[in-house]
Amino acid sequence: MTWAEQQGAPASKNPEDRSTEFVAVQGGGESTSAESLLVAAYLVMWAALLAFVFFTWRKQGALEKRIEKLDDVLRKSVGKT
Amino acid sequence: MVNPELMLRFRPVSRLSRYFPLLLGVTFMVFTVLICMIFLVAPQAQATAGGLAQKIFYFHVPAAYAMYLSGTVCFLASAAYLAGATDTRNAIAKAGAECAVVFGFMMLTSGPLWAKKAWGVYWTWDPRLTTTMLSVMVYVAVVVLRAFTGDGEAERKFAAALGVLGTVNLPIIHYSVLKWGGNHPTVIGRGGGGLSHPAMRQTLALGFVAMTLLAIVLLWMRARVALLASQLARAEEEALALEPEENTP
Repeated sequence: MTWAEQQGAPASKNPEDRSTEFVAVQGGGESTSAESLLVAAYLVMWAALLAFVFFTWRKQGALEKRIEKLDDVLRKSVGKT
Repeated sequence: MVNPELMLRFRPVSRLSRYFPLLLGVTFMVFTVLICMIFLVAPQAQATAGGLAQKIFYFHVPAAYAMYLSGTVCFLASAAYLAGATDTRNAIAKAGAECAVVFGFMMLTSGPLWAKKAWGVYWTWDPRLTTTMLSVMVYVAVVVLRAFTGDGEAERKFAAALGVLGTVNLPIIHYSVLKWGGNHPTVIGRGGGGLSHPAMRQTLALGFVAMTLLAIVLLWMRARVALLASQLARAEEEALALEPEENTP
């Protein structure tokens, strides 16, 4: 018995057949609206992307501050000599 | 105001940087066209594929592909780093792992929302889903390792080794559905799962182009930041080493 058969798939289907179609999970319900699922999926994906860009931008800002600090230190040391 | 000479020192990809705004513009345009095609051109799929929820597919599959792409970049840069350690190779390997996590997250959150409509459940321990989650967790481990263990030579090598090992799982994900079956269909390459309408295939193709461009943009951004951070850390060490000499009478 294959893994798919153990999960409730028709016994006649081999893995290659199953891999070409959408097969519902036994006992699963389909009451959720497609519209809300679609909106939720795109919201989550765009939120993840924007968060990643935001954190990159913040990290870049922190690096710029460190460069400014290093610049100050170098200016002072040049002033001393 | 930062000294321009000092700023010149921190220009990791200076010659290529002039093309970055162009790449951003092209990526933005392609995404705009893609979103129009998804919602205005591509027809609604059959009910067994999730109906309207199937439109998640045009971001979900390219996001999976972008994760493979980022993982491959991480693998190549990590292997190159293990062969000969440089800051650039380390920065690209780090960026590859970070982008693989982001694209993996996009795929793992959008997939269950589509599955709820197509399969009736958000999650099932299907071979492809399980191996994909495992792979994303490996990349999360690489990112966490790099974030919390410092930036020493040993830590970099360990992270590179983990990056190489993590990518070994990618072909297993791809072939798991053919080998073991499960609920996840192979839509591409096996002629199954739908996509009978030409507009669906065109939208998917554009999705791949858009995600490739986005992956390049994100990899570029993160690699630049990582390279800048390691160069800056080195410059700070040099500056610290200079200070005691100047303070001696």
